[in-house]
Amino acid sequence: MACYGMVKALLQSGIEVDLVLPTKDMVYFPLRKVEDADTLPVVFLDPIKHKEYERITHETLTKRLEYLGVSFSPETYINGSELKSWTKVVEKVVVEKHHHTTIQEKIWQDLKIYLLGEENIFKKVQELTVRAEKFAKTLDFDLIHSHDWLTYPAGMLAKRLTGKPLIAHMHATEFDRSGGVGDERIHNLEYDGMSYADRVICVSKYTANMVISRYHIDSGKIRIIHNAYDVGDLIADQKDRIFKGPTILFLGRITLQKGPDYFIEIANEVLKVHPHARFIMAGTGDMSRKLLHRSAFLRLRNRFIFAGFLNRKQVETILNSVDIYILPSVSEPFGIAPLEAMAYGVTAIISKQSGVSEVVNHAYKVDFWDTKKMSEIVNYLIENPDECQEMGEKGRLEVQSISWSEAADKIISVYDEML
Amino acid sequence: MLNLVFYFQVHQPYRLKHYSALEIGKNHDYFDHKLNELVTHKVADKCYIPTNNLMLKLIKQFKGQFKISYSVTGVAIEQFKKYRPDVLDSFKALAETGCVEFIGETYYHSLALLYDTEEFLEQVEMHRNLMKKEFNYYTTTFRNTELIYQDKLSDIIYDIEGFKTILTEGVDRILGWRSPLYAYKNYTGDISLLLKYYQLSDDIAFRFSNRDWPEFPLTVDKFVHWVEQLTFKEEKGRNMFLNLFMDYETFGEHQWEETGIFKFMEKLPERVLQNPNLGFAWPSQAYELSNYQQETLSFPEPVSWADAERDLSAWLENDMQKNAIETFYELVEKIREKGRYDLMEDARKLSTSDHFYYMCTKYFQDGDVHKYFSPYDSPEQAYIYFINALADLEERLND
Repeated sequence: MACYGMVKALLQSGIEVDLVLPTKDMVYFPLRKVEDADTLPVVFLDPIKHKEYERITHETLTKRLEYLGVSFSPETYINGSELKSWTKVVEKVVVEKHHHTTIQEKIWQDLKIYLLGEENIFKKVQELTVRAEKFAKTLDFDLIHSHDWLTYPAGMLAKRLTGKPLIAHMHATEFDRSGGVGDERIHNLEYDGMSYADRVICVSKYTANMVISRYHIDSGKIRIIHNAYDVGDLIADQKDRIFKGPTILFLGRITLQKGPDYFIEIANEVLKVHPHARFIMAGTGDMSRKLLHRSAFLRLRNRFIFAGFLNRKQVETILNSVDIYILPSVSEPFGIAPLEAMAYGVTAIISKQSGVSEVVNHAYKVDFWDTKKMSEIVNYLIENPDECQEMGEKGRLEVQSISWSEAADKIISVYDEML
Repeated sequence: MLNLVFYFQVHQPYRLKHYSALEIGKNHDYFDHKLNELVTHKVADKCYIPTNNLMLKLIKQFKGQFKISYSVTGVAIEQFKKYRPDVLDSFKALAETGCVEFIGETYYHSLALLYDTEEFLEQVEMHRNLMKKEFNYYTTTFRNTELIYQDKLSDIIYDIEGFKTILTEGVDRILGWRSPLYAYKNYTGDISLLLKYYQLSDDIAFRFSNRDWPEFPLTVDKFVHWVEQLTFKEEKGRNMFLNLFMDYETFGEHQWEETGIFKFMEKLPERVLQNPNLGFAWPSQAYELSNYQQETLSFPEPVSWADAERDLSAWLENDMQKNAIETFYELVEKIREKGRYDLMEDARKLSTSDHFYYMCTKYFQDGDVHKYFSPYDSPEQAYIYFINALADLEERLND
């Protein structure tokens, strides 16, 4: 979602983007006009394959992306058919060139050590890294903008080969994702990517602090650019409720980082006082089963509902049906979801450990672990529905002033610094 | 004399559809009609029609000497009427022979006994009226859902006019050194009990086609030989009851036709009746045939015929099952309080015990059985759809 909003806004400002994703075949998406963000034109590097591809028609964009091997969840990329030895590529590109500073020496050594892994995700990253060589030589570009650790090794190789500036964009660190210590290999790759990059863009002050304190990245090259949210025109003006009683929503991956367990504890507290309230947990994740059993153990009756994975349309439907949205994330680099909820006039309670709490005023901000306080706020809002509605309305107006074009301008000024 | 008492359970639940949270308040239809129709057709063709035809033939062939009994749930009859009236007709034809006993139970095959006595009594009455209406049969024997029984049940059933016998499981921990072959009385001595002889019942119902079972294949001669051995222990001429209780779907559905289950049943009565010490009886004959003082048995804790534990753990063990059923009976009470009887039918269809069985998380051997019977991918899914349906029902209640 962040990628889409950002690319679209960049295109609007006249920036041309060649989007490289870990696809099944060696393809890229040459994005030139604003509409391209929605249609995603495709070019195969292999001209024969490209001709074959042009003869195929796909009913929908999703079908076409599926054909290319891009799915909704970034963990399921491609088969490893063309996976050569990525270490050879690293060596060819890196080792034959010389005169490294010691830091750089470490970085390239790291790449060989830490990109080792049999997990699917590591395989994909290796594959993308192998391809970086070809893309770097084929495409015509001014700078490289790498998003998160998955693309850092590829970006580093591309910079190495072409000498073009590299921007490392930090959407989430391994500390955020894991909700704890995380994977050492990933920490190292994050460190290497940011160290080798010319600029590091962080999606919030919260993330920038983490990048400085935990990765010791030179603060001089860090730029903070908050994510944004463009209010669409699909938003209905009339609420279409599911429940007659006050309804409170959790929407996101049901995983440690997002704090879904805190949401259940809040529900447990609130339902003791207001049994007519209803709680909805939407999304899936590794903790779904555990939390379902927890809600049953707490005997939350039919007042705690699991909605499962929701598609775009269903997300809109559910946002239009609830009164309060809670983001109890343990660590949230940014967190666009609350902005979307606010756009629907839903009163938001957000974790202080989030980037989004830096950009909105009309939302309650609480430490993620303080379920007592969050419960008190929910109770207060249930007891004072007018205030809840007023807060929601203020939030709705506030979100309308946020836009990706502002974020795009800031990104462009970072580009300008380097060109 | 040893009497073989056959009782067959006939039941089909209204399976829930994948009822999502977003349907709450918008769609009040919780059931998977397509699946329910499909299952009814499948089981009708594989089991009900061919087995009923066989039973009818045997009854006519042995002119009153072959006796069997059925417990047919209200929800099964509703679905026969809707999808397969020929099945109901074939049960009616069996009823007309006068050689079939119909047994009373809860109309919805529910667990109401454990949570809501008022609701239990209503469902029992509904079922008795249904048996009268469809088969012109006044029930005098009772079996509770899944043979669940405890002392409290006998008190409640004794208070209802006309019931004289209750069927339940021959649980070892209750019987101790006693034999399940005799008729017993409940703990107050007011009502007769017949106890399932689970080894021989399960030889037919579960092990019949199991090639890993040392006794495979089970022939009529072998089975009747085992039965004859049971009579040797009785030296005082007391009448005994070999209670063979099983799901009717054993015939053709759990044990496919190819296993030879129909041929087994077809040959059994003839072989049994060759022995003058063996015969068939209905459960309602327990009292008249007992030529001895029936001992009383106390069941302080509930028992059932399910799984190795023979307790309630198939339906009421984990938190999902408990939260679901507690929520359900609280809701039934609210419906009654508010006098919203328009919601009662939908609610009662959710009371069927199968819904809680699908939420069972016991694994190993029993888990396989649960999985076989469940239309959902996981117990959690079954729980989610059930809770969503209850959420909608409560919204309707507050309309």
